[in-house]
Amino acid sequence: MTAKSHDRVQVVDAERQLINWLGLGLFAFLGVVAVVPLFLIISDVYIKGIDAINSLGGLWVFLTELPPTPYDESGGIGPMLVGTLYMTALGALLGIAVGFPLGVYIGEMRKEKFANVARAGVNVLVEFPTIVVGLFVYAVMSLAKEDLNRYMLGPLSNAISSLGEWTPRFIGPLDNVISLLGEWIPWFIGPLDGFNAYAGAVALTLIMIPYVALITASAYASVEQPLREAAYATAGREFNALFVVLRKAVSRAVLTAALLGTAKIAGETAPLLFTAFGNFYYAPFTGPTGAVPLWIWYAAQTPYDVQIVSAYGAAAVLLTIILTIFIIARIRG
Amino acid sequence: MLGFLLVVLLIPYLIAAYALLLVKLKWGLRQFGAFIVATIGLLTATFFVEAYPIIERDGLAVFLEARWDPVRESYGVIQALTGTILTSAVAIALAMPMALGVAVTINEILPARLKGIFGSLVDLTATMPTVIFGLWGLFVLGPFLHDVVNSVSRFLVGDDVMTSPYTLFTAGVLLAIMITPYAAAVIREGYALVPKPVEEAIYAMGATKFEAALIKLRYARNYILGGFFLALGRAMGETVAVAMVVGGNFSRFTTNIFESGITISSLIALQFPNAAAYQYMVPALFAGALLLTLFGLAINAVAIYIIQRGQI
Amino acid sequence: MAPQMFSWSRTFHRVTEGRIQVNYQSIGSGAGAAQFLEKKLDFGASDVPMPRARYEQAAGRFVQFPVIIGSIVLVYNIPELTYSKTGKYLNLTSEVISLIYMGEIKEWCDPKIKALNPGLADKLPCKEIVAVHRSDGSGTTAAFTLYLSRAYQPWNQTVGWGFTVKWPADEKAKGMGAKGNEGVAQAVLQTPYSIGYVEFAYWSKNKDKYDRVGGVSFVRNDNDGKYYFPTAENVAMGAAAGLERYKRKYGAKPAPDADWNPVSIELSNPPRGYPILAFTYVFLWKDYAAEGYGDAATKVALLKEFFRWVLTEGQKPANVVEGYIPLPPEVAKLGLEALELVKS
Repeated sequence: MTAKSHDRVQVVDAERQLINWLGLGLFAFLGVVAVVPLFLIISDVYIKGIDAINSLGGLWVFLTELPPTPYDESGGIGPMLVGTLYMTALGALLGIAVGFPLGVYIGEMRKEKFANVARAGVNVLVEFPTIVVGLFVYAVMSLAKEDLNRYMLGPLSNAISSLGEWTPRFIGPLDNVISLLGEWIPWFIGPLDGFNAYAGAVALTLIMIPYVALITASAYASVEQPLREAAYATAGREFNALFVVLRKAVSRAVLTAALLGTAKIAGETAPLLFTAFGNFYYAPFTGPTGAVPLWIWYAAQTPYDVQIVSAYGAAAVLLTIILTIFIIARIRG
Repeated sequence: MLGFLLVVLLIPYLIAAYALLLVKLKWGLRQFGAFIVATIGLLTATFFVEAYPIIERDGLAVFLEARWDPVRESYGVIQALTGTILTSAVAIALAMPMALGVAVTINEILPARLKGIFGSLVDLTATMPTVIFGLWGLFVLGPFLHDVVNSVSRFLVGDDVMTSPYTLFTAGVLLAIMITPYAAAVIREGYALVPKPVEEAIYAMGATKFEAALIKLRYARNYILGGFFLALGRAMGETVAVAMVVGGNFSRFTTNIFESGITISSLIALQFPNAAAYQYMVPALFAGALLLTLFGLAINAVAIYIIQRGQI
Repeated sequence: MAPQMFSWSRTFHRVTEGRIQVNYQSIGSGAGAAQFLEKKLDFGASDVPMPRARYEQAAGRFVQFPVIIGSIVLVYNIPELTYSKTGKYLNLTSEVISLIYMGEIKEWCDPKIKALNPGLADKLPCKEIVAVHRSDGSGTTAAFTLYLSRAYQPWNQTVGWGFTVKWPADEKAKGMGAKGNEGVAQAVLQTPYSIGYVEFAYWSKNKDKYDRVGGVSFVRNDNDGKYYFPTAENVAMGAAAGLERYKRKYGAKPAPDADWNPVSIELSNPPRGYPILAFTYVFLWKDYAAEGYGDAATKVALLKEFFRWVLTEGQKPANVVEGYIPLPPEVAKLGLEALELVKS
């Protein structure tokens, strides 16, 4: 290299370095601007929430007691927490079960026309106002409830309860266990009321499916062609190729999809209004069921301090539960 | 009976689809695609059936006029569609750069110890019940934007441009803050999944960190597209937080983002609980949902066209 | 009404030692009435009586009765005229309030406002009034607009009343919508030169904050010409006077299974007392078994026990949540008589 081209290389380097710093600086600035409000809100929730939990009787009370009235001094979110855990778990399970294959379809088989139709469908499903999804489930539930109870759930719960009467004759010592189960089973299975936890879970599933599907689709669509061909070549069956061999390439994204979707539905309010309805007491899942976001929705908009602070406490609890799930999943996966 | 059959047939259908996955994979996958298309179709059909009474009475006027007079049973939702378009546009315009910024910052700039914490905290906001965002917007963001925007506008044009703290602009900014985590989560995944060999090749060519970031982003373009649609959908469908800060002006058609307005999602959320007391309000709200669906399909059709042309 | 119902439900739960759970959720007056008629709910509650069209569908098969009284106050934000500065609150009348929300009175220095407030007339600024109303359908709006309809005829002709109305101020002047009482309360606190209507508790719990930005207004009762400050006593006075007027006009007490819309019309804008008030009504079927409810006998017994408690013990000051006003005894008796008609 002559001295002249050496100079030119250095000038080019300086210019590129400047762009480098400016560019990275811009990204950092955007990142910070995005994150500052989020951190402000989270810290606001935690500060007010922890304060609230302490003033309302401590963590155990807060997690198990019934919610406070405007003049109570202690209370909790027990029934709502149970409802949220149940409905979110069901919703997430079904959401992943349907969303994952759907995402694989959209991402892997992009060339097909029908896959693009399905992708359009998923994009449209994401944008539905969540209250509308709830109304749809409510409408289907209204149509189906009577027949469902008469032909399926009624006979089923009769069968279970008669089983409960019948088994003690055969399994003596387990008598107590069976009768205990017999008390708990009607909380889960039985004729459904117009408002119940399962309708709520279905509404949550419908909301979660597009989130899981879109992220999974991105993952599978990003698999490089050579890698895909290698997978098909080594795996033998298509099933193995997509789900076993490519696992490493996509599993992180799929995990993110599942976690993000679960986080979303855990905090949803509107779709539960006409499906689960809400409940401030411990009650069977076959009837109106409470959820933490419903309590926050109600309490944060009253003028009574004790209820407002309990809303922040509830939000803090919800965030912590989801954060724990995130951490556990990310460590293991 | 219809609903019962629907529910009862659904479970065997899904089980069959799963079984098919093991036998003939591609056909199994197609079943899931069919399931979602059928669901969307059913939802749209439901909207149409529910909206029919007002379409029958007013024709297309309900989609093209701006009105909300329950006392006289006169409804029109075009102002809500405009509101949705404006707030979503503002939200996406602000959120996509921010999401890219978050993704690059987490992956390139932050030290390894902070990456996980930072990332998890950003993801955590996905679970925040939107009413808390709404309250924050009500108490903090609205007044803040009111002051800032008016100061700037007084300097530039000598007048206050935002009439109140609660306008379409406020809703757009709040939405941007809310949807950024979704887009960011997706883009981060894509960015992190750029294969090692590719990354090494980029640096071997002598790229600066910034240039490498740009190349990796291009590599992750599928994720960026996925994140875009996820965030856009979220913005268009957000009900509660928008309802609390958008200003609730139903009567006036406006394209000025610094005025109070309404979006379709928040209109439905605000008016539905008491809609049953009126004769045509429920159909009008479903007409709004139908309009939103058709608009969403239109956006998707355009997007697919662009993508096919550009062959991303 | 939701906080009061919730509080009653919990207190009753304690009183019955956990035996009876009354699950009350706030989904809106219209939804409450509709879901009740669709038999998805065991009882419905609403800030307005069953709308006439729906009443026709179920006439004579259900009863309705009031359980608690709420009231609505007008809060305002005028930096030059805060209570902490002047020690005075504004006087307003139904005419002025109507004209503000109709967009006819656009500035605070309007002569009509000055005429009502001679002591503050020179300080009223010539700034545009931001009229804050509800963006969600609400019983509060219904009660407020019903009052304006009854008190000021032009309002009745141009706007009407309902859960949501078309506010002329949105188009002609600076009107703004906010979600929930909380939203309106906050909007008025944050927006200079604004005025808004909220439920009593949302003002009384934040009285200090409002005194610093403006205040709450005295409202003139057009029937007796006096200005009333929103207090529990003045509201109770209004409720009793309204019922009296109904009895004088129709010659008898309202029947529990009749259409209560005429009743609410008489109860609104009463002859005396603070004029902007609202009753919360509860709907019960007369014959639950005939209407197709499962387990009707138990349900009816529980409902009757609960509402009997609500109408007697529940009206005692210790059980009434701040911001709500207990029923005058004659009104509570209407409910007890209605309960007699409910059987399984």
